[in-house]
Amino acid sequence: MSITSLGEYDFPSRSRQELYGDDQLVTLWFQDTMWWCSPVMFRAPRAMTWADFWAQMIVPLAEEDPDFDAATARTWTLHGAPFEPQDGMTLTELGIRHKDVIGTRVAA
Amino acid sequence: MTLAPEKKTKKPRKLSMKARYEALTRGLDWEPSYVTKEEMFPHLEYEGIKIHDWAAWEDPFRLTIDAYTKYQAEKDRRLYAVLDGFAQGQGHLNLTDAGYLNAMKLFLQGVTPLEYAAHRNFAYLARHFAGPGPRFAALCQSIDEIRHMQTEVHTLSNYNKYYSGLHNWPENHDRMWYLSVPKSFFDDALSCGPFEFLIAIGFSFEYLLTNLLFVPFMSGASFNGDLPTMTFGFSAQSDESRHMTLGLEAIKFLLEQDEDNVPIVQAWLDKWFWRAYRVTALVSQMLDYMLPRKVMSWKESFELYFEEQMLKGLFEDLAFYGITPPRHVADAVQEKDVLSHQVYWILYQFSFAAGFTTTMPTPEHQQWLSQAYPDTFDTHFKPLWDKEARNIASGGRHFTRGLPQLCQVCQIPMAFTEPGDPTTLCQRESEFEGEIYHTCSNGCQWIFEREPEKYRQAWLPVHQIYQGNCGGPSVPEVLEWYHLQDGDAGEYLGSRDHTNWLTWQGEAAAETASHENKAGA
Repeated sequence: MSITSLGEYDFPSRSRQELYGDDQLVTLWFQDTMWWCSPVMFRAPRAMTWADFWAQMIVPLAEEDPDFDAATARTWTLHGAPFEPQDGMTLTELGIRHKDVIGTRVAA
Repeated sequence: MTLAPEKKTKKPRKLSMKARYEALTRGLDWEPSYVTKEEMFPHLEYEGIKIHDWAAWEDPFRLTIDAYTKYQAEKDRRLYAVLDGFAQGQGHLNLTDAGYLNAMKLFLQGVTPLEYAAHRNFAYLARHFAGPGPRFAALCQSIDEIRHMQTEVHTLSNYNKYYSGLHNWPENHDRMWYLSVPKSFFDDALSCGPFEFLIAIGFSFEYLLTNLLFVPFMSGASFNGDLPTMTFGFSAQSDESRHMTLGLEAIKFLLEQDEDNVPIVQAWLDKWFWRAYRVTALVSQMLDYMLPRKVMSWKESFELYFEEQMLKGLFEDLAFYGITPPRHVADAVQEKDVLSHQVYWILYQFSFAAGFTTTMPTPEHQQWLSQAYPDTFDTHFKPLWDKEARNIASGGRHFTRGLPQLCQVCQIPMAFTEPGDPTTLCQRESEFEGEIYHTCSNGCQWIFEREPEKYRQAWLPVHQIYQGNCGGPSVPEVLEWYHLQDGDAGEYLGSRDHTNWLTWQGEAAAETASHENKAGA
């Protein structure tokens, strides 16, 4: 269903990818702890490698959780499907799009 | 020139109340002669609502402007007398605790600007309806709403002399992340046509949910020694009941005018119930966490004011018109056991960037929560507070430096869980013209997918911060852009308000003791 309006109604998204230049928004969801009230959103360069994304963005934040251990093995999902991040690959190469949600939990 | 002495005429006949009302409202209506009715009221067709007879509008209150102003002036006189007495007697020292004012900070920043928005929106209805009855009712409500804004500001301004977080509420409302929740709700309504607005605010907000929003704040005030806010509450209550009656008359009027209106009104009801319900999430945590002396739990309040009064009372009546309870109401009912805990957990970890302070609930407070929520608190939320207690013991305090993912519709951080499963966050994803959007619930996703063109324009605070539109991309720059001052934000224990409170209470106790000594000597 589309909007009922007085006239033509077509305006761009206020958070479209082009507004972030070479970066994009990426959300990380710690699925096995409620310590974080919600998933956390980052602005990250699309050309950033997974290793840098992990070390520079995720770890400094996640360390605020007293139970977080960066060395623990983790499982990952992207759009709910299993996902294997590769350290040397960039976010774009890994298929992570603007505003995508990456899920993670400690491996069983 | 000599004037002839005025001829003695008979005293004018005094009109009955009803006749006076007719003369001063409907009697002042006119038929346009040099434009068409469609040109005069250009917003009445496009929403698809059909009105055949505007005169069928039953005025719930036969109020004229002179009666209205006389009555309101009396109420104002009483309110301002209480405010003066409270200020002169240093009444603020009789509050239960300075922490109580966090609830009032949230009220002033989040609700008071909505009164002003409602004033604007009802003025729009007073201009755009073709019938003099609803036009006049909307005009009265428009005046009520600006009065409420003014009296709320005056009521709370006394506290601004002594406490933090009350000094910049209009700008707070426009800029701060958690206040985009109520602000975007009203902006959403303002950008609707006149009939949708009437169902959105007049009915869904004012009728369905006003008791859940307004009454908890005012009862909280009376339980916590806040005489001015309580008096304001009494003063506004008679207006609120008039607004509720107007909301009910509005929906019945639309439904009775044409059967084709029913599905349109039902869809608006489905949308606006959920939009308004999401705004009350802020009230839920206020009741369960912010009030030092508790009134009732959110769960009890929801059961009484919504399930009993609305689902059992109102919707049984509306079934006559073919109206069913709002689409996602079952999700709201299921959420009553977890909502306040999840919302306070957001505010607790982000209060370093807010116009109020938060603190960990004390053991007694947690015991109350456990009794009020026997099925959920001990299992799901106490473990989080236990972990935070250990965190605090080792020198920490859980303030999240990262920014939360927000719901595209209600704009609340995505903290809500799957219906019936408090251990899994609810994530809904939709795609529109190649871009993905996230929503926090079935209700918000349904609203997004109905009008994606509208909600993709949402001014989401986190996204705006990352675009550099809020003073800069880093947290300190954003806090400066919020114009937060020392003491406005963060942890309550040890805050400016808390420290002052302890000092003032100590001074007051010492003074009483010295009076007693003198009296005894």
